[in-house]
Amino acid sequence: MEQRRLKILVLDDEPIVCKRLKPNLEKVGFEVDIFTDSTEALHHIQEHPYDIVITDLKMKIVDGMRFLKEVKKNSPQTEVIIITGFATLETAKESYKQGVFDFIAKPFKLGEIQKVVEQAAAKIRASEKAG
Amino acid sequence: MNIWQRLRAVYTRRLRRSPTPLDLPVIFEHFQEILADNQKAMEIITDLGEKAGGEYIFDWHYLADAVQRLQDVLLHLVKGLNLVADNRYTELYQTLDRIFLPLEAELRGRLNLAAEAPLVCPLGELPLDHPEMAGGKASNLAEISQRLSLPVPAGFVITTQAYRRYLEHNHFDERLHTILENWQAGLADERQSSRQIQYHILAGTVPVDVARAIRSQLEGGKKEKTWAVRSSAYGEDGELSFAGLHKSLLGVAGKNLLSAYKEVVASLYNPEALIYRQKMGLLGEEAAMAVLCQEMVSARVSGVAHSRALEMAAPDQVIIYAAPGPGQVVQGQGRVQRLLVHADPPFPVTWLPDDQTNGGPGTVAVGSDHVEGPGEPWHELLPEPLVRQLATWVSAIERYFKRAQEIEWAVDSEGQVWILQSRNLLIPQEKVPAIEDVCASCATQPVLLRDVGAVAHAGVGAGPVFKVQSDEDMGRFPAGAIMVTPFTAPWLALIVPKAAGIIAERGSAAGHLATIAREFRVPALVGVPDAMKILPDGEEITLDTYNRCIYQGQVRALLDYELLHPLVFEDSAEFRLLRRLLRRIAPLRLTDPQAPDFTPAGCTTVHDMVRYIHEKAVQELMDIPKSLSHPSGVQVWTLLSNVPLDLKILDLGGGIDPEASGSKVTLEQVRSRPLRALWEILSLPGVWSTEPIPVDFQGMMSSLTRTRTESPGMETGAGIDLAVVSDTYLNLHLRLGYHFNLVDARMEEEPVHNHLYFRFLGGVTDITRRSRRAQLLARILSRHHFKVDVKGDLVIARVLHLSAAEIETRLRLVGRLIGFTRQLDILLRRDEDVDQFEQTFFQQISPPGEDTAEGGQHGTTAPENPGPGR
Repeated sequence: MEQRRLKILVLDDEPIVCKRLKPNLEKVGFEVDIFTDSTEALHHIQEHPYDIVITDLKMKIVDGMRFLKEVKKNSPQTEVIIITGFATLETAKESYKQGVFDFIAKPFKLGEIQKVVEQAAAKIRASEKAG
Repeated sequence: MNIWQRLRAVYTRRLRRSPTPLDLPVIFEHFQEILADNQKAMEIITDLGEKAGGEYIFDWHYLADAVQRLQDVLLHLVKGLNLVADNRYTELYQTLDRIFLPLEAELRGRLNLAAEAPLVCPLGELPLDHPEMAGGKASNLAEISQRLSLPVPAGFVITTQAYRRYLEHNHFDERLHTILENWQAGLADERQSSRQIQYHILAGTVPVDVARAIRSQLEGGKKEKTWAVRSSAYGEDGELSFAGLHKSLLGVAGKNLLSAYKEVVASLYNPEALIYRQKMGLLGEEAAMAVLCQEMVSARVSGVAHSRALEMAAPDQVIIYAAPGPGQVVQGQGRVQRLLVHADPPFPVTWLPDDQTNGGPGTVAVGSDHVEGPGEPWHELLPEPLVRQLATWVSAIERYFKRAQEIEWAVDSEGQVWILQSRNLLIPQEKVPAIEDVCASCATQPVLLRDVGAVAHAGVGAGPVFKVQSDEDMGRFPAGAIMVTPFTAPWLALIVPKAAGIIAERGSAAGHLATIAREFRVPALVGVPDAMKILPDGEEITLDTYNRCIYQGQVRALLDYELLHPLVFEDSAEFRLLRRLLRRIAPLRLTDPQAPDFTPAGCTTVHDMVRYIHEKAVQELMDIPKSLSHPSGVQVWTLLSNVPLDLKILDLGGGIDPEASGSKVTLEQVRSRPLRALWEILSLPGVWSTEPIPVDFQGMMSSLTRTRTESPGMETGAGIDLAVVSDTYLNLHLRLGYHFNLVDARMEEEPVHNHLYFRFLGGVTDITRRSRRAQLLARILSRHHFKVDVKGDLVIARVLHLSAAEIETRLRLVGRLIGFTRQLDILLRRDEDVDQFEQTFFQQISPPGEDTAEGGQHGTTAPENPGPGR
């Protein structure tokens, strides 16, 4: 049976991060939407649920922590991966409390994030199977 | 005059401060900090280099942060050296500014230094990765000419800097701003606005400095030479395509060049161009026009080529449009012949018959008249070998830019093919393979290797496997093949530009081959064990380094997707910025400490500075013994040992048995753990020398003087053999014949304080042999987990934060190496000798009953051996 394609939202106010992640994750079979404007992304997730959300922590207007909370409020089963150039232990702890799937520090390797995304995908598929 | 007298003479000639005993520990502390900073700086540089390979995602903040960290470390280094050297290197503070200010300017996106952005620049010298200075068209051509070494007509670029000078000189900045503002506010339409702007530009005068710079480029050539004057706007032919919106003038005489320049500049404000930029969200003032002037090629035939014949549904073939004379295809006139050339050897050519030549080549307007009969027969005008040559060049350009290309070309009367222009081929969206198809193709394609190696440069390439092991293989390497090699030797650089991909069994992402691969944007995977065995020669493979995967055969969908999807990471602003930064950071130009430009003023990159400071810090330490020769109340011990060296020991505390008296000590009286470890090995039979060694004092001295005088031209005052020690510390300088060894080691309880640093330089033979010895040392040291840097014949090896026992093990290895290299001074005649000596060395170090350098964790068991006859 063919698996359904999982949907990923990438939010980072640095366009380069979005531009590079999109084709890379698409090539390994995900459907990817990218946002550089956090407000826009916030509106978008109210209507469109995602399986996986990848968000930067430090952004203008809406920061990653708030975005994470909003995502979880709208769809608790969504797995969130946080990327950041300013990973401190405190924010990491806080985000784990909020149910973040994993943390990745910038700059990161494409292979690194792909691995984390695939782990998140495996978790989602396993829970779907069980559910 | 004996050596001490001479040393003293040198000392008294030099009016320098004599370090007091109190100073020395401080100096050595600073020296260790310099070593640590040196390492930190090199780590940041390596890190930045690796980021250029495309495997990492980074943003501007990362670059700004890395440059800041580098600047902090360098400042600390400059301070440290000045502390050690009593402020004799304050000039380095200016050097620091000179090197870091442009880096900061780059980060701010500004090139505000006049010297950095010339008004006019020859195409062959145009700095790469500066499209904002030369425009897209000229930048592309510069890359084709400088990187790919393909024939591009000579010429020069009148830069965007000159354009800004032009506006400023004619007091037109404000006026331009107002006109554009009115247009954007809807107060005037684009035709009116365009007319106004162009009127002002054409009525202006070219500033004297710009005109002079242009004229200097015209000198020396033939009088009757004419020029192609082409627009090269910023953004044109790059990510955005302004193709056809701006003006290009052909056959311009030298005397008319200035007016042609104005005409081309004015075309930046064509109504169509204004509208286009508005649509693309580019503000009016952001636009800038560079102008490319190239010598005209007197073409007997010319045309356009597409690297992918998408319009013929033949994406694996190059399509060539040709017409007799110059510029007919582009201008849409005359008779056009079409040819398809297969991208793979033997490059079969198909001349399309007339009935298939209806319709134009997609984005290029082609006239409706076609070749009906041979006016001049095509096989004379455009013989097939030329067609094949053109097709291979077109493929090479596509490989380099990672995009399907549209290329203007010409063949002159002598039969030389020229590349006139190259831009990305506009691809209709429906031609881009669906991502689902790419996934499906990858999933079903047989995989030869997966998840192995380190990514040196990210990308996808396909071609036949071609194994390179020798010079002959290099000569036969076909363009577009995948290079598979057991090593990453620097000489492979010659074929990198021809390769569609690189797979090396050894090497790291920070290595030399990786750097070259990045320069030529060739996908490369290094450190792939057994690649030579697993990948069959001649077999077609697809190398996908994004996913570290090697497929059997061509994964067509993946290759097409890579060529056609919108983002080429190398072209993104961040990567271009990184490459520009790296050019001011990474290259090492100051390699020879004896060269006259080995000065602060000679430093042109951050790496140069690091090297310079390191070298000078070492020299400062070497100078210390000179001052010690002066009777200044400092206790200097002489080591009695069967090693024929007159080693002086300066104890900073706890390094010598407190009971020792007189001026001589034996190794038993040495309490410094690192010195003992090293010297015990050096004293073993067969380590220092295979020959019998004279042991009496006279013999020792004569041996010492012999070693010295064997080195012609060596300054006798260059230093003596000195160990500065404490119970846990060693700083050792040994000058053995032609070799200079420096060891700096600390062995304390807490591994975090420990390090071992080994630096080896010198030799009597030619640089090739010396480099071989350096390679040999590097290999042996790497096997013991040293981080090793080799530059020519300089080897720098370090380990950090190991336990005292592990440092000791490595000190013993270093001791053996010091002895070993002394013996093989001129023996490394061929590259193969390196392997042989590596084996010899490892055989030597593991005779029965003795710990090997790798295995020994249990301290020093080797017997002290002072007596004769052993």
